[in-house]
Amino acid sequence: MLKTSLGEKEFERSGDFISGAKKVDGIIFNIQRYSTEDGPGIRTTVFMKGCPLRCSWCQNPEGLSKEPDLVWYQTRCVAALECLKVCREEALKLTEEGMSIDREKCTRCGECVKACPAGALELIGKRYNTEELLDEVLRDRVFYEKSNGGVTFGGGEPMLQVDFLEDILPKLKETNIHVAIDTCGAVPWKYFERIIDYVDLFLFDLKLLDEQKFREYTGGNIGLVTDNARQISSRKIPMWVRTPIIPGYTDDEENIRSISEFVVRNLPTAQRYDLLSFNNMCKSKYERLGMNWELKDVPLIEKGDMEEFRKIAEGTGLSNVRWSGPTRIGGE
Amino acid sequence: MVKIWEPSEELPDRIKKLREEYFSFYDRGYFRNEVIPFTTGTEWDELYSYHDWGDVPELFNYFAGIRDSLRSMAIKVDLPENFWAESSATRRAVFFRKVIEEYLPVKILNGELIVGSHFSTALSKCFTKKEAKAWWKEESKWLKEMVRLHDVGVMNCGAISGHIVPDYKKVLEKGFKGIKEEIEQQMERHDEKGEKDYCKSMIIAIEGTKRFAERYAEEAEKIAKGEKNEQRKKELLEIARICKKVPWEPAETFHEALQSVWFTHMLDMAAESYPGPGLSHGRFDQYMYPYYKKDIDEGRLTKEFAKELLECFWIKHNYAYDFMGFVGVKQGITSGFGQLMTLGGITKGGEDAVNELTWLLLDVIDDMNMLEPKRNIRISKKTSDKFLMRVCESIRKTQGSAFLLNFDENAIKGLLWEGLSEEDAIDYGVVGCLENTAQGKDRSGTVDVNPNLAKPVELVLNNGRDMLTGKLVTSKTGRPEEFLSYEEFEEAYFEQLDQCLEKALENASKADEIRAKYEPTPYLSSLIEGCAEKGKDVRNGGPVYNFITVEGVGIATAADSLAAVKKFVYDDKQISMEELIEAIKNNFEGKENLRRMLSTKAPKYGNDDDYVDSIARNISRHWTEEVFTRTSPYTGRRFRGGYLSWNYFIDFAPLTAATPDGRLRGTYLSNGIQPVQGKDKKGPTAVIRSAGKLGLETAPNGASQVIAFSSASLKDEEHLEKFASLLRAYGEVGGTALQINMIDPGTLKDAQKKPEEYENLLVRVTGYNAYFTVLGKEIQDEIIARESHAV
Repeated sequence: MLKTSLGEKEFERSGDFISGAKKVDGIIFNIQRYSTEDGPGIRTTVFMKGCPLRCSWCQNPEGLSKEPDLVWYQTRCVAALECLKVCREEALKLTEEGMSIDREKCTRCGECVKACPAGALELIGKRYNTEELLDEVLRDRVFYEKSNGGVTFGGGEPMLQVDFLEDILPKLKETNIHVAIDTCGAVPWKYFERIIDYVDLFLFDLKLLDEQKFREYTGGNIGLVTDNARQISSRKIPMWVRTPIIPGYTDDEENIRSISEFVVRNLPTAQRYDLLSFNNMCKSKYERLGMNWELKDVPLIEKGDMEEFRKIAEGTGLSNVRWSGPTRIGGE
Repeated sequence: MVKIWEPSEELPDRIKKLREEYFSFYDRGYFRNEVIPFTTGTEWDELYSYHDWGDVPELFNYFAGIRDSLRSMAIKVDLPENFWAESSATRRAVFFRKVIEEYLPVKILNGELIVGSHFSTALSKCFTKKEAKAWWKEESKWLKEMVRLHDVGVMNCGAISGHIVPDYKKVLEKGFKGIKEEIEQQMERHDEKGEKDYCKSMIIAIEGTKRFAERYAEEAEKIAKGEKNEQRKKELLEIARICKKVPWEPAETFHEALQSVWFTHMLDMAAESYPGPGLSHGRFDQYMYPYYKKDIDEGRLTKEFAKELLECFWIKHNYAYDFMGFVGVKQGITSGFGQLMTLGGITKGGEDAVNELTWLLLDVIDDMNMLEPKRNIRISKKTSDKFLMRVCESIRKTQGSAFLLNFDENAIKGLLWEGLSEEDAIDYGVVGCLENTAQGKDRSGTVDVNPNLAKPVELVLNNGRDMLTGKLVTSKTGRPEEFLSYEEFEEAYFEQLDQCLEKALENASKADEIRAKYEPTPYLSSLIEGCAEKGKDVRNGGPVYNFITVEGVGIATAADSLAAVKKFVYDDKQISMEELIEAIKNNFEGKENLRRMLSTKAPKYGNDDDYVDSIARNISRHWTEEVFTRTSPYTGRRFRGGYLSWNYFIDFAPLTAATPDGRLRGTYLSNGIQPVQGKDKKGPTAVIRSAGKLGLETAPNGASQVIAFSSASLKDEEHLEKFASLLRAYGEVGGTALQINMIDPGTLKDAQKKPEEYENLLVRVTGYNAYFTVLGKEIQDEIIARESHAV
């Protein structure tokens, strides 16, 4: 897989996200209500498109690109072939293996999506302006109130769309709704600076502390990530630190220990530490996006190993360490 | 991981044995609570009313056979002199009394502490020859019209027994002796002979309870004589003592109170003839608590023994299913009894009503793992976090099957809307499945009338004719091709709906009239406030409150159909009305693309989408307000709305043509106030909000909503708390009643086969989410394996 990441300069140039304009749309690939996995209480998670990292194990590959992605669902297709008729670029071909999408030719115009009677084609990634998104996320307000929940922005990397966040977060705060940002941390600090006053909690990913490995597996600069983590904590914002446990990448004891020690020493506002086991369910997503996934045949983590990692983390003095996610079936 | 609910290992041996005995239907030839029919012996006798079963379409073809079988099997009861000179109510009372005093077999099972076994009966209607003739004429005429309307998918109806909360509290406090005195006082007040006579019949019926209980006392003493085990001997003598006392005298101890309630309850079922479905205890934890507390405080009772008594009491209810034991021994093939027990809620003063006994009952429920009595927990704003979490734990442990949840604020709002006093509304009980009713004074007739709300869509499209048979069902509303706007289409829908309701209510009124006129139940009337005061039967407008509930079927199918027409025909003009009608008449044959489009691209109720939710609300408000303006002429009972829809969403499926929401003929209609199967794609909060928008106070009976959760969503304390908060929010923005289901491996396997019906099934792991049906087969299999085994 291509390992590219945006450096600070590229960020400045990626005008789509950082326009400086007062009104920008958010580009969102999913809005998940009754979200129970992304912070306290019942939440709505807004998944935003575009990511500066290219982690080998990425769970939401549809969030990588800032452009909409065209996908085809085999189980819904009724072979009506209406899509082929309307495609001006001739980017679609229904083969024995399924729909072949020429992603070079495809302009994401969405005509095929409209034409398909069965909803088998979908453009992932929709523009919302602030008012539209507010209307959507405020619908579950009573559920947030009853559960001390709120709204989480995740992705992708929501911080890439800081212009949009800067517009919507103050409005959410006016309604007293708890706001969490789920971030990989790999964006310049000044982006955080622009919204940090409106954030109640950061779900902060620390995947690997080894500089070289981090660059190799994610394309990012760990120094930027850890600096941002320290700064957030120094601003007294609560954090939940998360580490995905990926076989062959992040699942060594030393990595967990060093992350835990980093948290103990540097992040006084860290309230909990979550270890998330590797999950292979995104395999179908890669297939639909026409992407090859290096980890597609990697087996799940064993339960005992997750327990072990939790103990290692606790051994460094961290409290409230939890693990979740699927583990290997059988042999337990 | 789903660990299927099992009975507790900790159950006392006595309870384990009694429980197993119940489940061994074939092995207990010495006792099966099968129906025993009793006759006056006249050649014109009737023991079976079709209208009792008018809401069970599966039975229509067997009616005549059952009627004949019961008649031919019936035991003749010796009648006293002058029997035929008495009024119909008195004849019924005398007959009932005679049966329970002399004929109904007495059986005490080994080890049980609460006694009272045979209660399934089919009692003679005690008709004179003239009455029998008149009754049959009216009954068969009613049936013919009802079946006609059913067969074209419009409705079914009857005058259903049970579904009532008798005043058991009064029996505990005053005994039947006290109740008799009250009726005597009322009798003095009445000038009219008919009313006086009616009161007399009530007294005759309840006087039978004394001798009936004594027969059990005698049996206990008889067994005690031969009993070697000293402990059991003591128990039997205590049983004998109690049976000599209750239900005739007031109960004083917890044991006496339980025995009194059981006798009173089983005799209700006997009086209404089998099976008396939905006959419910009301707020059991409230009226039983004083007896529990007194015994505990005075050191007469331990918590452990109280639990054992309750467990004995529990098992008795399940014997109701014996009547179909030879058809299916698994707690009844239809699970259709619904002897409900209402727990929790608020006190008359508006405070949390949960007490120690409520907590103990939750343990009993968890440990017993039995179907009956079914449990309804009232959740209110005042319900404590601790208790709510306990309820959630039970839901997790029992895969949701332990209880149905009723939400006080929303339920009470509806009951006030229909005119209950504030005091009665706050003190409501639940009958059948989820139907809200006043306790001890309300004949609310739930499940009596069941109209199909999707049928009028077909009647609009086909201008009053059933598409399958071509029969004219309703009068014409014009050619839909000529409607210029959606508003015209909607207006035609409401006109067709009104015509269907008109026919349904007329027919239901007839069933109500027949029952009221010919089949009084003086015993049950004695337990319902208002009957003695008015000198009228519970079935004839005697109670303080009198309703007949109309349970709307298929609201989401109807709303989604109207929304699809609005969007595609009128708003977007993507298809013409001609094309739509043609496709629907052909059941979408050769029009799969059109069907898919309607099914996947139109707005669907259940997604918090105002476009369609507002249509659903209009339909709901329209028909519920419409029926509430009507009463049944003979009894004066007022029609009120609700959404129970039992299994009619299946029965009506082949009788309803394809619908504009892309549904094919034969595919189930929507159930209760749930979205069309698989169409709610935004999760539970969106479904709850859609339901809340219906404005359910005009459906005061209550509305059935089921939400399925994966076991992962309740996996630990943190998730359980989130789930509890969801329930709290439901009380504010949702409906009146909620049943929780757990998604099991079977559901997932079904979803693999029928992805279209499970588009809403979401897989969620931290940092990741996807719809189950779009995952690759191999990943799906893995998820299924995960749900089936330990994760």
